[in-house]
Amino acid sequence: MLVDISQQPSAGPRGAGAGATWGSAPCPVVVADPSGGVVGTNAAAAVLFPDATAGTWLRDVVPAWIADAHARLRGIVPAPRTAGPGPGTIVHGTVGDRTFEAHPTPTGDGDVMWWLLDDTDRRLAEDALRTERERAAFLAGASSALLSSLNLERCMEVTAELAAQHLADAAVIVAPPRGRKVRLTFCGPDGEVVHRTVQDDVRHLPGLAEALRGFPPVPSRWIDPAAVPAWAVPEGFTGPVGSAVVTPLPGHGVPAGALILLRSGRHTAFTESEEIFARLFASRAGAAMSAARMYAEQAAITATLMRELLPPRLHAVHGVEFAGRYRPAGMAERVGGDFYDVHPAAEEGQETLVVLGDVCGKGLEAAVLTGKIRNTVQALLPLAEDHQRLLGLLNGALMNSHHTRFATLAMASVVRRAGVVRLRVTSAGHPAPLIVRADGTVEQARTRGTLIGAFWDVSSTTAQVELAPGETCLFFTDGITEARGGPLGDEYFGLPRLESALARCAGMPAEAVVEHVQMLAAQWVGRGGHDDMATVAVTAPHHAHLSAVNGHTRGRYTA
Amino acid sequence: MTTSHPPAFTLTVDVQPGTVVVHVAGDLDHETCDELTKAVDRNLAGLRGPEGQPLELRLDFAGLDSIDSMGLAALLMVRRRTDAMGVRLHLDRRTRGLDRLLEITGTLEHLTAPRDENGGAYGPEAGRAGAGPGGPPG
Repeated sequence: MLVDISQQPSAGPRGAGAGATWGSAPCPVVVADPSGGVVGTNAAAAVLFPDATAGTWLRDVVPAWIADAHARLRGIVPAPRTAGPGPGTIVHGTVGDRTFEAHPTPTGDGDVMWWLLDDTDRRLAEDALRTERERAAFLAGASSALLSSLNLERCMEVTAELAAQHLADAAVIVAPPRGRKVRLTFCGPDGEVVHRTVQDDVRHLPGLAEALRGFPPVPSRWIDPAAVPAWAVPEGFTGPVGSAVVTPLPGHGVPAGALILLRSGRHTAFTESEEIFARLFASRAGAAMSAARMYAEQAAITATLMRELLPPRLHAVHGVEFAGRYRPAGMAERVGGDFYDVHPAAEEGQETLVVLGDVCGKGLEAAVLTGKIRNTVQALLPLAEDHQRLLGLLNGALMNSHHTRFATLAMASVVRRAGVVRLRVTSAGHPAPLIVRADGTVEQARTRGTLIGAFWDVSSTTAQVELAPGETCLFFTDGITEARGGPLGDEYFGLPRLESALARCAGMPAEAVVEHVQMLAAQWVGRGGHDDMATVAVTAPHHAHLSAVNGHTRGRYTA
Repeated sequence: MTTSHPPAFTLTVDVQPGTVVVHVAGDLDHETCDELTKAVDRNLAGLRGPEGQPLELRLDFAGLDSIDSMGLAALLMVRRRTDAMGVRLHLDRRTRGLDRLLEITGTLEHLTAPRDENGGAYGPEAGRAGAGPGGPPG
């Protein structure tokens, strides 16, 4: 029943009380005597309760909640069943499709006037506000639940769970299909999440193909419940599908999938506001799922690059010890700018080439440049006899007019003859390798040159170094010398500290030297951030196994 | 753990007729190097000087705290730009750290040499003809 009070003529009240101020009140007023008989109504009340004329019983003409309150007020009903409102308190209830507050006011002659205030709109506003608050809280909760995981499968599970709990009886997440295989994540009324892969054409579910295409964005689409194919209904779903909606899950530029919401026949269909809400939820879920998918792809790319670019394990070659250590700058960028390689000579008596380098910058771009350098050096191995020529060719291969990303590297051709290890050491803009003698003196290899990849002409000088048994030549990147730390946290490790660390490494095997140096640098840095750190030690062993292949197999001892 | 805050990176540009002076202070590294190249590009673009006098870009490193490889890459890029525009580059008041880096990397001469003496060996176009790769240094 709709009541429009404003259009009522201001007729005088009927019955007793005519002429009193309440008679012209805009709100409905009903006056009843202590026994529950109606004494009078004003015009507004007459519209609301047409039967309420003087002399009728209140209980017969107004809703029970007013009659009950009146009875309680006067103690007519012997014992209220519940601890209801006490005398004089305000009561709420509905009249037709509107809600009212009823305020009792005693009159001088023992009657009670019931003032009825229409609070329908306020109630509706309050309800809408509460719903909105619940939805906002749900969306915030959903976002944090979804974004806390970068695992795609987990994201799909959370999405299905939340949707089934809050939006429908059951939810199905459809991942973008690969070929004819469609990956589905179900969550039914029981809250259990099931993954399943079906082979079916998504076009069999109306609207699904469009939603999965993602662009242009399509609104949620109503579906004839009978058109929902059996594969899209979770196993625990009871009864026939009453209503269904397909909503796209929009991702970052690419669709993240589609969300199918199902309600069983007993429940009502989706309202417009529910559908809009489902779309809001879907946009958040889609963003989270596509972030998870992008992260998974990124991680796969990084893993592939890592396999290709991580420094190799080094071992002895033709009676010379090689050992390398690499400590990347941070876990976030496992592929850094430092690299090293040892290219073993095919035969004993020929030179083995060792290269250690540092590419300017970090991350993917540095990794790509690193890969380019390592591949190029590998291809130029036949020219390793002439370091300047090799560096010139490498430099030409790296020159780029768009940027000045460069690399510095130190290389050495190493061969062992008559117990002495001979190195031809060349630096291309790289810190010169350090040599630790058997007596603990440390010296720098006297080589210097231009970095590569920035200028069209590069030059360098090559140093001749001989290592007696127990002596080591250490190649390192500036991540070691420029490691910031120490007692104050901002001091460089520096060349002098590296030299004195190395002085204690006289006579040590190559593995022990690199381990010692890396350990000291790591201790210096502590828990602070640092750049990539790479070291390679070339050591003349005290007693070398000579072997034809790689030093792993047993050979004869030489002095 | 960095206990002390590093000094903020600042570029102060002083434009005089025919000369741009950029005072570089703080850490010139992977985070800040783009600012330097951008500032140089911005200020060289409209540089005009007295007729017949060479244009100059002076980078003043008195306030430099540290420089890393990306900072050096930025200097190399600046040199390319100044060469292309016929502007003379000066690296003034270099710190010991900067000098050490330029020395180790073999870039000191390249960055500080007057343009004419290098015969434009920095541009890829000029370089292909002049200094072909592979030739050992004299």
